[in-house]
Amino acid sequence: MKRDGQVRDVIGNTIKEKKLLSGAIVCTVLGAVLVSLVPPLILAQIVDRLTAGKDVTAVLMLLYFGMLALTGLLESVREGLLIVFGQKITHALRSRLMKKFGRLTTDNVNRQEPGTLVSRFVGDVDTVEKLFTSGIISMFADACRIVSILVVIWFRNRGLSLILLLLLPVLFLFTRQIQKRMLAAQIENRRAVGRASAYVPETLHNIRTIHCLKKETYMEEKYDQYIGVSYQAMERTNFYDAVYSPVILILNAVVVAVVMLLSASGNGKILTLFGMSAGTAVAVLSYISQIFRPVESLGMEIQTIQSAIAGIHRINEFFALEEKKEHPKSTGVRATKEVPFVEFRDVTFGYEEHVVLEHMSFKVMDGEQATLSGRTGAGKSTILKLLLGLYEPLEGDVLIHGVPAVQIGEEERRRLFGYVEQSFHMVPGTVRDQITLFDERITESQIRKAAELTGLQDAIEGLEHGYDTICTPELFSQGQWQLLSIARATAAGPSLLLLDEITANLDADTEKTVLQALNRAAQNRTVISISHRTSAKMGKIIAL
Amino acid sequence: MKNKKFQADRVRSYFRIEWKVLLVVTISGLIYNLGLLAGPWFEGQMTGCLVNILQGSDHFTDMLILVTSYVVAIAVVQISRYVKRFYVRRFANNVNRRMKEILYGSLVSKSRASLRKEGEGDVMTKAILDVDDCVEGMRKFTTEIFDTGVALAAYAGMLLWYDWRLALLCMIFPPVSYTIAEKMKRVVQKTGAAYKVQSGALSAATLDRGKNASTYRVFGREQERQEAYEKNLSDYEQSAVKANIWNAVMPPIYRIISMGGVLFILYFGQKNVLGNGWSSWDIAAFTTFLACFVKLSVKSSRAAKLFNAVHKAEVSWKRICPLMKQKDAQPGAAGAESCELEVSGLTFSYPDGKTVLRDISFTAKPGQITGITGAVACGKSTLGKVFLCEYPYEGKILLNGEELQEKQPSERNGSIGYLGHDPELFNDTIEHNILMGDSANAEQYLQEVCLDQEVAEMEQGMQTLVGNGGVRLSGGQAQRLALARTLCHRRPLLILDDPFSALDQKTEREIFDKLKQNYPDTAILLISHRLYLFPEMDQVIWMEDGQATVSDHETLMRQIPEYAKFFAEQNGGSEYEA
Repeated sequence: MKRDGQVRDVIGNTIKEKKLLSGAIVCTVLGAVLVSLVPPLILAQIVDRLTAGKDVTAVLMLLYFGMLALTGLLESVREGLLIVFGQKITHALRSRLMKKFGRLTTDNVNRQEPGTLVSRFVGDVDTVEKLFTSGIISMFADACRIVSILVVIWFRNRGLSLILLLLLPVLFLFTRQIQKRMLAAQIENRRAVGRASAYVPETLHNIRTIHCLKKETYMEEKYDQYIGVSYQAMERTNFYDAVYSPVILILNAVVVAVVMLLSASGNGKILTLFGMSAGTAVAVLSYISQIFRPVESLGMEIQTIQSAIAGIHRINEFFALEEKKEHPKSTGVRATKEVPFVEFRDVTFGYEEHVVLEHMSFKVMDGEQATLSGRTGAGKSTILKLLLGLYEPLEGDVLIHGVPAVQIGEEERRRLFGYVEQSFHMVPGTVRDQITLFDERITESQIRKAAELTGLQDAIEGLEHGYDTICTPELFSQGQWQLLSIARATAAGPSLLLLDEITANLDADTEKTVLQALNRAAQNRTVISISHRTSAKMGKIIAL
Repeated sequence: MKNKKFQADRVRSYFRIEWKVLLVVTISGLIYNLGLLAGPWFEGQMTGCLVNILQGSDHFTDMLILVTSYVVAIAVVQISRYVKRFYVRRFANNVNRRMKEILYGSLVSKSRASLRKEGEGDVMTKAILDVDDCVEGMRKFTTEIFDTGVALAAYAGMLLWYDWRLALLCMIFPPVSYTIAEKMKRVVQKTGAAYKVQSGALSAATLDRGKNASTYRVFGREQERQEAYEKNLSDYEQSAVKANIWNAVMPPIYRIISMGGVLFILYFGQKNVLGNGWSSWDIAAFTTFLACFVKLSVKSSRAAKLFNAVHKAEVSWKRICPLMKQKDAQPGAAGAESCELEVSGLTFSYPDGKTVLRDISFTAKPGQITGITGAVACGKSTLGKVFLCEYPYEGKILLNGEELQEKQPSERNGSIGYLGHDPELFNDTIEHNILMGDSANAEQYLQEVCLDQEVAEMEQGMQTLVGNGGVRLSGGQAQRLALARTLCHRRPLLILDDPFSALDQKTEREIFDKLKQNYPDTAILLISHRLYLFPEMDQVIWMEDGQATVSDHETLMRQIPEYAKFFAEQNGGSEYEA
């Protein structure tokens, strides 16, 4: 199984490529955890010295503050590096996704809903970033922190570490329970809020009925009822939100109290476990409050990871989609007298179970004009798609100048084919971009010639910024867009023109203009068109 | 709740009306925030006590008393915290609910014309969203007043009490870090805006690749587009890093700065303990002071949040405030039992000046069904809508001799029932859509509109949800349901605008017969483009260019060739749909 597209591999590769960055993150994560252990220990020293009536050296003071500052600095660097690293991963992931998109079979491309594509590329990838920045790595840091504090406490107050070892799992389960219930309550609340806010546009829409039936009060009462439902759900989240910290802090106090009590017990056996000096007591107090915080974060991190996993799953699904077969790309497809420009040799093709073309054969010679005719669904558009190399025939050959259509390289396409699509697809950019499709090899004079051919030059030059006007759907009329699509098809001077049926509703006058432009474009070219109304003039008929 | 002084457009009123909840918040808030001092104080005492026990001057029982009171104190403080948090949120919920009700109340009583024309509908919708922001601000304000204001004051007070010189010295640092944070805000906002632009560009580029995928493939542009996308990604990465890095990197730095005072505490504190400082301390005082300061410097970073929340709330409140008007309750005046309608010289133009109706006169009596028809855009629908008085008209419309325009809206709506093209159904059950809060037998009305069978076949019967705007019903079902609702809210004059357009002839006739039979006291104006029921109408109005010919079916067939043609066309092709 080919797995190079998986999210895991992208992350792995990024880590490998950015060794320095990844190393620095590990260092800062561990560094911050370890350094943060030091200040309470120094404080313990300070307190012990003071208890003994000795003064505190300047070195000790500076060291204390210095360690606090170093912890902060390391945390700061860690957070910064995580941002950079997270962005590197999202960049790599999106880049890989886009490459995959380019390699998909035409069928799969057409199946991708643009909106879903955006949520896959933008939203889901962002959750992967979160998985890293606020999921796995901080989880690791929190786990390290808990372990390291436990280790330190083990040496300082063995009994306490035993108590904590017993307490922490319980605490963690409690945290998870609260968080899960809170999430459920939040989801319910969101649903209720959604219902309440949908009620307002509904009211606006039905205001006439409300007035007519004198239902103002009824509507107000119902609105209040909807708010009431969301209010109740919110009270529940409020409850969990309000109850959590007090419980934790009371627990914190109880642990402190028990430790203090035991270390003051004076019982020798207990003291082997709980005995400590005043300085250690100060340090232990600070560690206890430090160990409760990561437990809470651990719960949140698990939540983040859970929601990210769904996103990763969807991305991996995308990576698993079927790709088109790679073919050796031919270069320099040349026209010769003997070989027909287009040849279908015993072609059979279908989508999944449904066979569209069976043993189809025809030839179109250089300079010839041909029209495909047949009822809807007979496979006219399919022939154009096979010609364009979008699909591969199941059997037989689709040849362009004797070369299989799927082997024609990207670079050569526009020199060979000009395809006028059923409807115009506006790309983001200027009028010029609509014609060139961002192809810088198309010269200014070619652009102007294409515009002239379609009779659009006046309309374009009449715009405020001419060819540099940014396109919006309102810029041109439907007919003009259709003309622009002819200009796009002919700009690179292709020798074969493929005309799909224009589906746009054009009025009679506009249609005439479009047809005239098509006729001009068809001159001196090989043309294959789909039963267009110009068909009378379009040479031989290929019936389906 | 019935506070006479309640003014919907004054923020204070909302606080005042919630005084009970706020009182609980205040008491628990004070206990909590002042009680916060108990933590560090007890911790200091316990350490001190431990020292004494180790030195043999204190006993185990001293420690027992101390830890017990410590746990009790913390419990009291934390329970107050719970109470405070819970009630602050309840306060916010109450205010939120009250504000939304007031807004909704004024929205629902506004005329349709003003809601549509002046975009007031949008304004109100946004205002309702603004309420959330505003209340959130009020909540944060209430919370932070205690958690930041009271707590900071308490900590500062405690520090000053222990050693005022040292306290002043170390309290220089938190404001410094706060000032720097404020300065950094501009950078954060600027990079944040740039990031938003880039993230919009990335979404747009992705959308473009999805939408125009086949075009790019056909024209051999995929490679180049992929490279362009790569550039988008790089730009996005850069701006994302720039925008997010400050928020990630700076907070620990601010913390370091505000912790600067620790150095002074260590230096002067040890002097105090050793007896050669400004005050005389024991170990307990030393650790309490240090712990207090740490808590103060963490808290002080929250001060900025308080100001931000208040500012945000102010902005949204300014937007909502002018809309916060409590409406006076209107007594629902009952309309007359039956009514005689007299329309004379009715002329109507829309506010844009286009005259749609010209000099129309006719009368209608209880029990009469008047058919109104005409070609597309002849003004027949407008004639129906004029009765809603959404815009002023010229001429007279008299109901039992009283001018319609001069009646109170509630009285008018009590006399006239109107059903337009749009069924205007609510996202609720079938039963609720008919009754809308009234108590009646919905089944009966379903029968009257021939919908009972279909509803009975639905899995949940009358409790079936119709979906948003009735999407789960067919067009004909929605129309009939709306008619059932109109019939359920019976009015002496009923105006039905094309209520049968999606029904087959048989059902249409059946409903028509039931209407006639069940509503002998109601005057019905039936606007329709389908004419096969018109021979049975008591009166027929033919509209052309805003003018009306009032007569009956036979006469019109003879006198108006267009009417005759219209009728013949439809009876020729029995399934004719205009």
